[in-house]
Amino acid sequence: MELISLFPTWYEPAVGSGWVVGFIATFHVLASHTSVGAALLFAYLSYRAWKDDRDDYLDFVKKYGLFLLVFTYVAGSLTGVGIWYSTTVASPNGIGALIHSFVWKWATEWVFFVIEVIGIYMIVYLVGKVDKKTHMKISVIFGIASFATMVIIVGILSFMMVPGKEAWFDEGGYLLGFYGDNTFIQLAMRAMFMLTMTAVVGGIIVAGIKDAAFKKEMTRKLGWLGIIATLLGAAMFQLYLNSVPDYALLVMENRLPDYFGPSIAIVLGLTIGYFILTMVQPKFLVSGFAGTMAIVILVAGLWPEETARESMRKPWVAGQYVYSNQIIGRDVPGMDIQSQLPLIEKVGILKAHPFTPEHLREAHNGNQIQAGEFITMTYCANCHSVSESGIRPLHRYFPDQVTQEVMARYIRGALVPGNIAYMPKMPMLESEVQAIAAYLTKINNDGLDATNLAISEEIANREAEKVQLVKQPGLVISMKSSAEEIQ
Amino acid sequence: METVQLTEMMYALRNPAGVPFYPIVFIALGVLTFAMHIFFVQLMLGTGAITAYGAFSNNPYWQRLASSMLEIAKVSVSVAIVIGVAPLLFVQVVYDPQWYTANVLSARWVIAFIVIMIMAYWLMYYYYFRNGKFGQGADKPKARWSIIASLAIFLVAGWIMHSLTSQMLHPELWQSWYSPNGMIDTSGSQLHANSPWRFAFFILTAIPVAGAMLVAYRRFKAVREDADHAYLDWAAELGKKWLKVGSLLVLIPYLGWMLTLPETAENFAGSIWSILPALGFIGLAVWSHLRLNDPKSICNYMVLAMAFIAVLLPSIGREVLRYDILNGFFGYNFFDYKVIIDWYSTLLFFGTFAVVGGAVLGYFLTIAWKVGQSKGVYVPSAAVDRAGTIAIWIISLWMLHFFVLGFWVWMQ
Repeated sequence: MELISLFPTWYEPAVGSGWVVGFIATFHVLASHTSVGAALLFAYLSYRAWKDDRDDYLDFVKKYGLFLLVFTYVAGSLTGVGIWYSTTVASPNGIGALIHSFVWKWATEWVFFVIEVIGIYMIVYLVGKVDKKTHMKISVIFGIASFATMVIIVGILSFMMVPGKEAWFDEGGYLLGFYGDNTFIQLAMRAMFMLTMTAVVGGIIVAGIKDAAFKKEMTRKLGWLGIIATLLGAAMFQLYLNSVPDYALLVMENRLPDYFGPSIAIVLGLTIGYFILTMVQPKFLVSGFAGTMAIVILVAGLWPEETARESMRKPWVAGQYVYSNQIIGRDVPGMDIQSQLPLIEKVGILKAHPFTPEHLREAHNGNQIQAGEFITMTYCANCHSVSESGIRPLHRYFPDQVTQEVMARYIRGALVPGNIAYMPKMPMLESEVQAIAAYLTKINNDGLDATNLAISEEIANREAEKVQLVKQPGLVISMKSSAEEIQ
Repeated sequence: METVQLTEMMYALRNPAGVPFYPIVFIALGVLTFAMHIFFVQLMLGTGAITAYGAFSNNPYWQRLASSMLEIAKVSVSVAIVIGVAPLLFVQVVYDPQWYTANVLSARWVIAFIVIMIMAYWLMYYYYFRNGKFGQGADKPKARWSIIASLAIFLVAGWIMHSLTSQMLHPELWQSWYSPNGMIDTSGSQLHANSPWRFAFFILTAIPVAGAMLVAYRRFKAVREDADHAYLDWAAELGKKWLKVGSLLVLIPYLGWMLTLPETAENFAGSIWSILPALGFIGLAVWSHLRLNDPKSICNYMVLAMAFIAVLLPSIGREVLRYDILNGFFGYNFFDYKVIIDWYSTLLFFGTFAVVGGAVLGYFLTIAWKVGQSKGVYVPSAAVDRAGTIAIWIISLWMLHFFVLGFWVWMQ
């Protein structure tokens, strides 16, 4: 057998597996960035509390810390694990590539996670139980540990877009994969964003402060933090766009929805306006307003930004060598990795896939629709839905009542050689081209129910043929395996 | 599919990037961190069960204990989650063919796990905030359903993880799960494999683990000036009972697990790796009976370490069982995973773990310990204060190294 590293496919028809990852990741980014930013703020406030002997700063830290403990640490830590789980089921080879290159880096981050989790409990529960100097020391350690989790993960996220140095492809090694233009600029951009989030979410706590003078002071502090971070963050985003490969910008221009640019601009304006308003009139700062702003930034700012980052790296999903459909599409001599495309070209995707059922290993007239379904699930389902709903439904790309011949010509001309810029190369044997064309045509013209019915008929016919063969005298012994299978 | 084909399939599913250090190291770390993770899971379940029982009890001691154990349960969930990240990482490194397949085949449950965990954790916090730290005992606790629901939902989450790890061990069934009756099933809507005895064993181990915590709790609180010794003695006696009875009780599901192992496990049930965990729990019961009679003895703290060793032994056995099935029967040997050694990142992890982790957690836990035993505001001694300064220096130097090295590589 000549097999490649392909796992079963999880197909999520309602929204698409990619969006499931996106939902979890976006929520995690909101929670984790707020936590890291707040950790730095706590370090600063705890330091000031010690230097200026201010109890109210520590009281604020305690309240903000408890809020974060319940909301962002619970949901943040679980959605962080959730990103692993969701990418495992949506993109096992994508996450596998990152895990196998950066396992020690993740393990190092884990040390800081442990420090963070114990640290947040100490920061919250030890206010008033230890002297201010000790609280300051705990807070400073906590702040640096939190920031360490961010600097580590950003290097891994950058690798997803593009390995740090081009030399990584030839020489391999953790350092060349981790550090590069994209790493540091993305880090700066995310650092600014996390401070913005800290200022916005912190508003929920400031809104509850009863002492008017202290409320005004904290509103101003958070306001300035928010404004400066938002402006610098916007500038960093522009720099970030300059640090990604040219093709990524091209993909971004072609693939992102029209509302992306205006949406980012509106959120920027809203955020700055919000900070100015609350600084001038702290009485406007109520928890509902601050909470709404956090959601606005999440929905209108963070979601498009994360979507852009996800879309830009297509057709790759990790390190510019793992395609979004999980196939390795490029040699990486430095890691002794070979492209899987030549083998697929030679034996076909059905024979190369370890999970192809025995009866589908060769496509023919008797199993064409089902073989087509299997190929579609393998090659397309990560990014396209076969139903009416879901992510980028396939039926939108083909005219009504398209013929199988036209469909096959399109597949042969565009998909097999990889002639669509942001889509992977998808080698297929001619029998496989016919199979996927038959399936896509059926889906497009007759819908999903009719296609599933056609598959059921193929299976029923196959079973009937087996029974027929067993019933024929003289064939029983030679078809022993079939008979056993039926029994 | 023939066994040899399954072997070939699992080897094909390995990540071609290889691993950056010897696979046995990842296995060892995986076992150790799994044992730590499951220990805190069991601590959370045991102390959570005490909280739930106390919520319905009229006994003031139970109510008071419930309130204290809720604090431990809350922190234990956090610690269990954060420590659980490590075994989840390491299992993907050398057992990625099995782990990823098991996950994808039950993808909806994998996603549901996250939501379920968040719900369970928030319900525990909901109970906490509805009642406050001293709410119990003063009045009948409010929203008692929430602590019961929290524990029940945590058990569902545990069942999902249990099923996934069981599915890893059945490569012979993967194809039939993916294409039942010849029809491809990409929904990931089913949990396919389980072993109720195994699940019951790991859950019921919460009893001796929580018992150990109760004994240590008495020792820890007894030194305070305001200690209520009658109450603490009652709690410790309860803990001793849980330790002794619980350690023997878990042998029943353990035996059930060993007797119902799949045929692919061959002779594991009679091996030393199967017998050692049982001996560990018998040893814990005997040791608790003999060594916990003096309330001031250091053994009252050591009991936590003893309980951990008892949990570590089945964690090792579990790993050997996995190796026995996947290598012994199916011919998948993690030892021959492609290795491309990366010395820098390897040393970085171990250095960070030992130096940064050691210095910071040593400082943090010293402070937490001292505060728990002090009345009023705790002011550390000069030595402890210096330990804090050293910890700041160490973690700052780590950060400095990250950027200096990074800029150097960047500029090349």
